[in-house]
Amino acid sequence: MEPGYYAEMDPAKRAMLLTALYMAQEQYGYLSREAMERVGRRLGMSPREVYNTATFYSMFRTEPVGRYLIQVCEGLSCHLAGGAEDLVAHLEDRLGISAGQMTGDGRFSLQMVQCLAACGSSPAMRINDTLYTNLTLGQVDTILQDLEGRP
Amino acid sequence: MPNVRVTINGVEAAVPANITVLEAAKFAGIEIPTLCDHPAIEPIGACRICLVEIEKQRTLQPACTFPVFEGMVAHTRSEKVVEARRFVLDLLFSERNHFCMFCQMSESCTLQDLAYEYELDHWKFNRPMPKFSVDASREYFVMDHNRCILCRRCIRVCDELVGNGTLGLKNRGADSMVTADMDVPFGESSCISCGTCLQVCPTGSLADRASAYMGATAQIDRVKTRCMACPVGCGTELIVRENRVIRVEGDWDAEPNKGLLCEIGRFVPLHEKRNRVRQPMVRTDGDWTEVEMEEALGLMNEKMREAGDDVATIVSGFVTVEEGKALAQSPGAKYLMHPIASEQSTAKQADLDEADLFVVVNTDMTEDYQVAGFAIKRGVRQRGARLLLINDAADGEAADGEAADGEAADGLGDWAMRRFGPEDANQAVSIARGAQMPVIVAGPDGAKLATELADQIPDAKVLIYTPGGNSRGLYEVGFQEAFEGQEAAVYHVVAGEISRISPELLEQLRQGGTVIVTTSYREPWDEVADLIVPMPTTFEKSGTTVNADGMVGQVVVGVITRAVPTNEIFNSLAELAQ
Repeated sequence: MEPGYYAEMDPAKRAMLLTALYMAQEQYGYLSREAMERVGRRLGMSPREVYNTATFYSMFRTEPVGRYLIQVCEGLSCHLAGGAEDLVAHLEDRLGISAGQMTGDGRFSLQMVQCLAACGSSPAMRINDTLYTNLTLGQVDTILQDLEGRP
Repeated sequence: MPNVRVTINGVEAAVPANITVLEAAKFAGIEIPTLCDHPAIEPIGACRICLVEIEKQRTLQPACTFPVFEGMVAHTRSEKVVEARRFVLDLLFSERNHFCMFCQMSESCTLQDLAYEYELDHWKFNRPMPKFSVDASREYFVMDHNRCILCRRCIRVCDELVGNGTLGLKNRGADSMVTADMDVPFGESSCISCGTCLQVCPTGSLADRASAYMGATAQIDRVKTRCMACPVGCGTELIVRENRVIRVEGDWDAEPNKGLLCEIGRFVPLHEKRNRVRQPMVRTDGDWTEVEMEEALGLMNEKMREAGDDVATIVSGFVTVEEGKALAQSPGAKYLMHPIASEQSTAKQADLDEADLFVVVNTDMTEDYQVAGFAIKRGVRQRGARLLLINDAADGEAADGEAADGEAADGLGDWAMRRFGPEDANQAVSIARGAQMPVIVAGPDGAKLATELADQIPDAKVLIYTPGGNSRGLYEVGFQEAFEGQEAAVYHVVAGEISRISPELLEQLRQGGTVIVTTSYREPWDEVADLIVPMPTTFEKSGTTVNADGMVGQVVVGVITRAVPTNEIFNSLAELAQ
């Protein structure tokens, strides 16, 4: 589905901005300059306005991320469950990068996020659109092994 | 509009029902401090310095956005209010670098004035002291993010008043930052250097290169006058210190510009690189010699007497009506340096702010007549007005290589709904027929087509701009013919500050005849003249100017010079004709 699809449905085009940005991010993994310019053209907004909005929301990315984006929760519950810090340290060790970085081959990005709305089953992390809960370090290894075998 | 009764600080007043507490307080003669609010733009209630106590309201309310209501009782200086404002200032001062003593805006800064008024004598909070970059990529002014309080005035004037929309805010909360376009250096952005952001900045964040550290509020005078660079005829305020203009600002009270100026009106005169003419100069055997005014006048009279009526006087738009009247009495033919068609205008410039459709014919309103161009951009962006462009470049057959793709020829291209070549003008007519208030704007080359179009579009008004700030005023005192290469024994060019001169004119002057130029600057006239006579700039003279729609403006002396007033020189020429 093209972002323009919604624009034609809704007379208040700019109300569709967040939806359009979300779709663009789904498609390309992040919001490139070109993607933001294109969204702006379709919605009758300047690239500047689109850029300002995209940077306002922390879940829009304006820089490329790896094929697999690993987001580890460092929210209160995950922190109290005693898992978050160990989890991150383990992931950093396994991937050879620090939180906030991407592996050299562009396959994995590691990020800290505030809450994944899984407080009841902490510690939690998200990889792309899949949520993993009640994690142990052993499970993390299994998950990574699985991903490493995938394209 | 019905009135409501309000009580502010015990003062009772009847005020219009549709205004804010801030405006109501002004009615009652009570001042409320503001930082993000500015009378020329919409209020956003961001900075919280205007917080006031309104009875029956749970919390303090920002006066700039809160509407008045019947029976409202407000307190603008209660203990609670003062405490809240001090807290706001404590927060503002803790966020970035506000060491006033190092700032070029010290003693001319709203933020600093408030800090003194609310007695901030120490930093209440620890400061993270982030080190931000200074963006000095623009020619005339710089942006120091360390002094920015994120009031967004610059962003809003760029969007709401200038219609350019270059500036914006990236990120969120404490990470927020004023940026240009998609976060590029300001000098590489779509910024057109109109300087409106600079004029409204309430801190030292936007700093003018020419006037930084040159004079604080208490040391300067403000002189309201007119810009003569183009026929929009903007009202300006000269910021003068010790008989020197250090900065030019737009006059918020003046029509038609209402505070706005363009690069040419605001910055160019203060960054002039050409050599000023202070003393008359005579060319003998190719060398220039300075002479006394008496000698120069003698020479001028002699040359003109010899030529009899074979004299061509050519005036630029920098000549006032008074100077023009005196020159009109001198011998020979009288010409305008540029063709004039503004007298055919039927629209007022104020109509640009009402129009629902613009047809712009053969002129680039982002190059020339820029402040009128701002009104067109505003109309398109904010009122949804339609813009049709008709120019020679639109059909892709322009002789000029740069314009061949139809893009470079008109900076308004991004704003336009359709573009046409002149031969397709009838298509524009069919679109324009449905408009309620169409305005056709044209440059000198489009005047004829514009008037023809106006006959075909119901209710269409025409506004014609031709180069030269006072061309219309000079037309009215008898300069009705444009100079198109007519030959004469003596040419008297009265130039003022004009810098863009057609190569054809210079070439003809180089060819022959005696060339006398009355001018403020040597270049480029020293290539072609035999005698150069000094002329005051717009900053240095008084007089009258008439803009494109016929409005009369007063040019007022900002700087006093020793130069002989041009009227005296020109009157002496008039005696020759008798």
